[in-house]
Amino acid sequence: MRWRYTLCFVGILSVFLGLTMIIPLICSLITQDDSARSILLSAAITETFGLLLFFGFRIRNNDYISPREGIAIVALGWIAAGFFSALPFYFGHVFETFTDAFFESVSGITTTGASVMTNIEGVSSSLLLWRSFIQWLGGMGIIVLSLAILPLLGVGGMQMYKAEVPSPIPDKLKPRIRDTAMILWKVYAGITIAEIVFLMFGDMSFYDALNHALTTMPTGGFSTKNLSVAHYDSVYIETVIIAFMMLAGINFSLHYQMLLGKPLAFWEDSECRFFISFVLIVTLIVTINIYPVYDSFGKALRYASFQVVSIVTTTGYGSADYELWPSMSQMILLLCMFIGASAGSTGGGMKCMRIMIYFKYCYKELISLIHPRAVSHIKLNAQPVSSDVVSSVLGFLGLFVGLFALSSVMLAAMGVDLVTAFSAVASAIGNIGPGLGTVGPTENYASLPAMGKWLLVWCMLLGRLEIYTIIILLVPEFWRK
Amino acid sequence: MKVVIIGAGEVGFHIASRIAYERKEVVVIDTNEDALRRVSEAIDVQVIKGSGSSPSVLKQAGIEDANIVLAVTDSDQINIVACLFADYISPKTMKLVRLRDPDFNLYKEALQNFSPHIHTIINPDIEAVHAIERFMSVPGAVDVGDFADGRIQLIGIRLAAESPLLGLRLMDIPRVQNAGHMLIAAVIRKEKLIIPRGQDVLAKGDLVYIVCETRYLTQTLDMLKVDTAPVRRVMLIGGGRVGSKMAAALEQKSIKTKIIEKNPSVCQKLAETLNKVMVLQGDGTDQNLLMEENVQDMDMVITLTGDEEINILSSLLAKRMGARSNITRISKFSYFPLVEAIGIDHIVSPRLSAVNTILQHIREGNVLSAISIKGEQAEVLEAIVPQDSEVSGKMLQKISFPTGALVVGVVRQDETFIPTGSSIIQANDRIIIFAVREVIPKIEKILTVQLNYY
Repeated sequence: MRWRYTLCFVGILSVFLGLTMIIPLICSLITQDDSARSILLSAAITETFGLLLFFGFRIRNNDYISPREGIAIVALGWIAAGFFSALPFYFGHVFETFTDAFFESVSGITTTGASVMTNIEGVSSSLLLWRSFIQWLGGMGIIVLSLAILPLLGVGGMQMYKAEVPSPIPDKLKPRIRDTAMILWKVYAGITIAEIVFLMFGDMSFYDALNHALTTMPTGGFSTKNLSVAHYDSVYIETVIIAFMMLAGINFSLHYQMLLGKPLAFWEDSECRFFISFVLIVTLIVTINIYPVYDSFGKALRYASFQVVSIVTTTGYGSADYELWPSMSQMILLLCMFIGASAGSTGGGMKCMRIMIYFKYCYKELISLIHPRAVSHIKLNAQPVSSDVVSSVLGFLGLFVGLFALSSVMLAAMGVDLVTAFSAVASAIGNIGPGLGTVGPTENYASLPAMGKWLLVWCMLLGRLEIYTIIILLVPEFWRK
Repeated sequence: MKVVIIGAGEVGFHIASRIAYERKEVVVIDTNEDALRRVSEAIDVQVIKGSGSSPSVLKQAGIEDANIVLAVTDSDQINIVACLFADYISPKTMKLVRLRDPDFNLYKEALQNFSPHIHTIINPDIEAVHAIERFMSVPGAVDVGDFADGRIQLIGIRLAAESPLLGLRLMDIPRVQNAGHMLIAAVIRKEKLIIPRGQDVLAKGDLVYIVCETRYLTQTLDMLKVDTAPVRRVMLIGGGRVGSKMAAALEQKSIKTKIIEKNPSVCQKLAETLNKVMVLQGDGTDQNLLMEENVQDMDMVITLTGDEEINILSSLLAKRMGARSNITRISKFSYFPLVEAIGIDHIVSPRLSAVNTILQHIREGNVLSAISIKGEQAEVLEAIVPQDSEVSGKMLQKISFPTGALVVGVVRQDETFIPTGSSIIQANDRIIIFAVREVIPKIEKILTVQLNYY
């Protein structure tokens, strides 16, 4: 592996991230809050570091990047991005320790939305915008954005794209990676703007609408209110957010196809069909189950649908305290954390496509017990899925469950209670946000021990980059010449 | 610009990588998943699994908005059918096809004028024969290419110990006797391409690319002490598709030719079609046979069997036994860097020749032909200066060509000349440009005129 290449690209990414700090800076100048100094200081540090790396390791021609370098660039780039986005919070004295600032920023860029802020409404509006904005950047991916707008990353970009947007079955919308990245970002930005407009129709201020749109589309879930979406107590706003959470949880290449004039694209895709049906069925079950709590079908449906969509798409907004619900509903929500949204969406979790492939594989195994000589293929969208893909899916699920188990044992070892440890790890590795117990929808992660926060930071990164890209850093073979 | 390539074999792979490098959109279609994986891992292209002859696959590849479709699978039939459907779905797309079977050549015009309206038919075997003929014209050169209908030549020469250019600065070269008609376009030193400047000094072992008008070629080559003795006796080893075509071409030129072929029935066929060529049945690696047939007196030994390892061994054996020079057919592109080290003079590859021919047709704008030189680090383009181009009517030294590009020849009606800094380029001139790979898109931009105002 050529360190020179890796560090140079990490430098480029840092420079780029530093430039985006202009956005909260402008907000700070407009609202006249006192965060301008801390944002400027953070931007300066980020730029200095980035430029030092870039000029220190400048490369002449970037014609080829090996898969290994691609992975290293993405993994280190994300860790660096998490570090630098934490600086405004740290210098702005939002948190007392750097651990908390780092937890908050990684929770942002990985689109988890788990917070350690005890009083969100007490933080300056520019820093809250930065918190929402990094979530938006992380949703579609920092690398994908850089691929779309920085010509520097043109040629070697494909390896990085693969490491940042891992999908069981790779999907390239356009022959060139740059054009693909450009389309994805345009669709992403377009839907975000649409959501801002819709939210403003619901009497939300522009600032709140902007923040909520920036955190809905990446399925992040940071809110500017202590009570999250429950603060507005508006059926209209909840409906809009449900709709956009669903859009964010659907494969973005389907949005693109729909914009190209194929209105049935959603329904023709079997993964999308599975995703929508799954949400509908779970909503129905939870509605019936929580009916006694609210004693009104309308209210039960309203809270059940919002919470189910919020958890399945891995967004993590709260409109009701689901810890007051019967334990069957809580259990269902907990299991939904593992399933996650569609592949190619901004949602986290295991992804519907993998679950589908896994169940089809199990079914095929059963059939082959009954008909030992049967020749059959696993198919998705009427296309056979190659056995390489199937085995990588099985490997992924195995690693996902294994790392989940290991991490929850470690968290429990730090003195966290069982329900909290279990749900906090599930929530972090699935990039959801709230869990159960002391990290439930009405509480936050501030009470966890510092070591536990670092563990969850690690889990969030694992979940966002779909395990392989991050876990490979621990494999000694990766570092060998 | 968008290019659809059908077939991810060696030819498809290399064309795809060349075009994608120039930031054009490329879609590659193949039925073989492993071949596709190799393409998609190495280059920034879209891959589609399926048969190129299937209309639905072509549609999926977005053939409607493709400028060029290249059908380069190993099967002529698939290539033709693919073009046929491409023609139905998208008549505007330019179609280039690789066809091997000489039978099809009889109907070349029909294929071009009627459906499927093929723009260019590429026969790798014939391209290889042309490449060999170019090498034979200057046996002492490493690389030979011609431009402007053969009036200007590009010759690559390895500087030997007795070369008069050794130790000279480039700016001093015009003062050497008889050196006035040539221009040094590029130097390859230790596998690296250098676009030389006036202060650079030439050293032993450099591979120098010179551009020279054909009428002064002999004079210039004599001055450079390059072997120019014409080829009179040739031995061919291998009588397959390329071998038999080569033998027929040599027969026409009245060059004394012997052809060695292992397979008796192929020998029978060769003997039936060839008149003056001596057909010998035997093994090209058989030392006794080579000795019997006086290999030491041969000006050139050309090994063209389908087995590249045998070709390499035969060539080396012939060289050791005293043959003046050799040309070896090698298909695996990864062997190319080894060639010089082991003592092979020239290589020919039907696939590489096909890649080069296809590239000539893919160039945008007014580019007429293009050839790629050693290691594919640079290309020589031949182009017509458009009417309202920003370069016309200017002195060369005032034109802001990108660094790494050099105008090395100008053809104005019947006149050809090698330009200097003060030469003026006019509209409709044919100019020959030497350019490193990185700047080719910029050159294409300069030479393509923006006309579309409606």
